[in-house]
Amino acid sequence: MLVGKKAPSFTTPAFHQGKITNVKLEDYLNQWVIICFYPGDFTFV
Amino acid sequence: MGYPKLQELGVEVLSISVDSVFSHKIWNETELSKMVEGGIPFPMLSDRGGTIGRLYEVYDEEAGVDIRGRFLIDPKGIIQAAEALTPPVGRNPQELLRQIQAYQHTLATGEVMPSGWVPGEPTLKPTTDLAGNVWKVWQPRK
Repeated sequence: MLVGKKAPSFTTPAFHQGKITNVKLEDYLNQWVIICFYPGDFTFV
Repeated sequence: MGYPKLQELGVEVLSISVDSVFSHKIWNETELSKMVEGGIPFPMLSDRGGTIGRLYEVYDEEAGVDIRGRFLIDPKGIIQAAEALTPPVGRNPQELLRQIQAYQHTLATGEVMPSGWVPGEPTLKPTTDLAGNVWKVWQPRK
């Protein structure tokens, strides 16, 4: 399990408030961040 | 959804699935914006090919999707907590808030949160003297 370890880095496209951008995990250094994985859009959470 | 509360606590949220950013856009426009005023306020990431899911050990190779894993990452980039659930059961936002408040408290004070802790309850100050003496200051809930 990854708990207690450094969160793996990534850079990937994202949709954010109407725009398409690129998001890097490093953008969030120095703050708390939650990453929520889920199986698919249009499925019920 | 608790996002305003998370913002108050200085926490950002990133959602992520293998769908394209265009799918996220349409899902937001056709459904999510009807459930959340203004649509989803945080970035919705695209994990095409499951690359990121593999890094986080949540990519299901057979199904070709990321399972419902949630990671809490501290300001130094360390994963403090992780949870994964199978599809039928949704996550519990209250538990997430509890964990964030607990970890933020521990970071600020060095105190630790025993089992069942919720904000306002007693914490423990970890010292060598406490070893073997926890029973004097804390009892588990019956």
